This record gives sequence, structure tokens and C-alpha cells, in this order.
Amino acid sequence: MTRTEILAALRADIDVLAPAEEATVLGALPGWDSLAILLVVSHCEHAYDLEVRGPQIRACHTVADLLDLIESLS
Amino acid sequence: MHSSLSNIRLAGIAVTTGSVVRDFIADGLAAGLDRAALERTAQTIGLRERRVAATGVTALDLCADATERLLAEMGLDATSIDVVLFVTQTPDHAQPNNASLLHARLGLSKSAPAYDLSLGCSGWVYGLHQASLLCAHGGAARVLLCAGDTLSRLTNPGDRSADPLFGDAGSATIVEKTGRAAPWHFVLGADGAGAEAIMIKQGGARQPTGPLTERTDADGNRTHDANLAMNGADVFNFTLREVPTAVHSVLRHAGLTPESVDALVLHQANRFILSTLAKKIGVAEARTPMGVVERYGNQSSASMPCALIDGLGERLNAGPLKVAGCGFGVGLSWGAFAGELGPLTIAPILAFPR
Repeated sequence: MTRTEILAALRADIDVLAPAEEATVLGALPGWDSLAILLVVSHCEHAYDLEVRGPQIRACHTVADLLDLIESLS
Repeated sequence: MHSSLSNIRLAGIAVTTGSVVRDFIADGLAAGLDRAALERTAQTIGLRERRVAATGVTALDLCADATERLLAEMGLDATSIDVVLFVTQTPDHAQPNNASLLHARLGLSKSAPAYDLSLGCSGWVYGLHQASLLCAHGGAARVLLCAGDTLSRLTNPGDRSADPLFGDAGSATIVEKTGRAAPWHFVLGADGAGAEAIMIKQGGARQPTGPLTERTDADGNRTHDANLAMNGADVFNFTLREVPTAVHSVLRHAGLTPESVDALVLHQANRFILSTLAKKIGVAEARTPMGVVERYGNQSSASMPCALIDGLGERLNAGPLKVAGCGFGVGLSWGAFAGELGPLTIAPILAFPR
């Protein structure tokens, strides 16, 4: 799975991330909240069988940081 | 821990809910929240209505009502109960335990011991295991297991991550010794290192009282030390990590598979978690009752008996069904079971007071 494919899958699966680009600041996305974080946890579990923890996602500032996190755990 | 217990049967179940209906969208609008955001959350998590206890009504009252209705439905006298177990984290008092108060209210025999188990959403399975042990090896012929909470009173109205989730309910379950039943299998476990993911800091011996200073988290949710505070992402991680493993393990012990069970009954946390778990465990959603949480809310230890009645009541009444289940939550703890349930007496889900 390439970085581009990971981003495309996140955008397709999670409405809040639909407009996301790598440089997008997560906190600036309308609806980026604890529910969105749960959806990312669930997405990573289903798509990649990865356990990504809430605080790890909260520590991500941009979408690029989130992609770095997923790649680092893969 | 795996445990296999024979010659026991589930004889009856009843659930009594709180009588006050709370609507997720209406409550959110009244709190000044955006309708679109509320509808997004309602759709994703599966929140619609919940039933909370009226002022002055406790888990003891709800469980007593469920017990009285169940005994009447089964044509049993309360004095035939050999043991009463009460699973709750919201007892009437710090002392004595709820089981003793229920013992007096029902007029049970002095030879019948009464004790509480302090557990939340996993608690019904722990109580079922304890009741089964008492019937299989402990000299009891009939055990009353009550499980219920009024968690809606413990959340902060300013905590939108926890406050809209909980309903109040009490359940009564009768477990009996019998001479013919196939074994039930249990897998119980705990991860105390994760205990702070679901916690009420104040109110116990470590921190009995103190100043209640509200904190606000990154999403604007407010809690203080006497509130039930929950780290949703940590609880979700724990649930996805432990529950499928426990269910697969108990199925293996019971000689069952996700395809061969008639139903999978899980703690009714919310529809999102239920749907995610059903998928990961490999049981079709159609065989996983999910209707409780959207109408009654997360009922803590009463949610599994409520799901058995709501989703499978008629089929259990006709029985038997091959059922697997798992409760999970505060502790952190989990308890899975698998075996044949039914035929058994089902009392309808009713609100109290009526």
C-alpha cells in the first residue's frame, strides 16, 4: 500500500477526511474530533489490521503526520 | 482463564429500565450544539433514545422490579432462592451491599447468602459465571443474579463523549442446577494496566471527597473527579484487541465456530462498536442483536440480558439456541461465554415506575 493509496482510502472511508491533502492541518478540518479519531482507529484496524492508539492520532498535526504514523506502524 | 461448568440452566430473564426518555438530538440542540454534527454522530455511533431512571430511583429499585416480575412469571416463591448476587457499581449505599438490601426486600431465607460483585459492562457474564459455579459446585439449586446500574447520573452534562451514551436499567436472571444440560464455557480476563480508561476518581477510600474542579479536554468536553470519565479511543482499542480474541477462544472451547452459533450477544456499548466487533469476530450482523442501545442507551451490566430479551426473546423462550456472548468494560475487564440457552422464561422489558 503506497502513501497515496493510504490517503485515498482514508478520504473514501471517513467523511471528515474527504477534502484532506497531505498539508492539511487536522484540527482545521470541520468535524475533526474524538469521533473522527475513533473512525481512523477503526479504519486502520479493518484496512491494515493495525492497532493505532488515540493519543498517537491526537499527536498528529497534519494529514502528512497521520500518514507517517500509519506507515511507521505498518 | 477458561472455565467449563456443567448441569446448569438459564431459567429466566427480566429487565426493567428507567422511565425517563432522553432524545439524543433534542438534548444536543438544547445544549446549543449544531444539528448537522449531532446527526452525523447519531448516524455513525447509533444514538437515538435512552431511558434513564426517574429522580430517587436506583439500580436496586430497577433490579427489584425485574426480580418480582420474573418470579411472578415463573410462578416461583422468593424463598426458593438459595443465593442472591448483585452486580453493580452504583449501589444504594457504601455499606451494606445491594444484595443484602434486596435480600430483605424480597424476604429471602436467612440460609441464602447475599453479596455484590463490583463490575460494570462485563459484569453480567462474571455474575453468570459465579451463579453457574454455585449451582455446579457450590450447593445451590437456584441463584438470583441481579445486574444493573444508574450510570446516567455519573456523567457530566458537559461531556458530550460520555453523557449521551448511558441508559439506566436493572436485570434479574435465574440460574438453576439441572441434571441434563451440556456445559457452558467461560473465558474471563482483565487488563488492570488500562484501568484509568474508564474511571470515577472520587467517592472511594483513596479520594473520598475533595474540590470538584472541572477540566475541559481538547474537544471541549468537561469533567470533574466525581464524574464517570472515559477515554473513548483507549476503550475502543482495548475492545478491538481483547473481545474478538476472547470470543474466538470461548467458541473453540465449546466446539463452535462464528458460523455455527445461532446468535452472538455482546455488551450493547453502541452500534458502531457492535458492528465493528461482529465483523471482526466473523458473525453476521443479522445474528448479532444490536437494537437495545439505540432505544435504551448503554445499560452497563444490564445490557446483555436486555439484548437477549429484545433480540432473541421469543426464540429463547422456545429454545434451545447456541449462543456466544461477551461483556467488556471497566477494569478493564472482559468475560465471554458460549453454550446452549433456552427454553427459558422471558419477562418483557418494562419501565419503572409504570
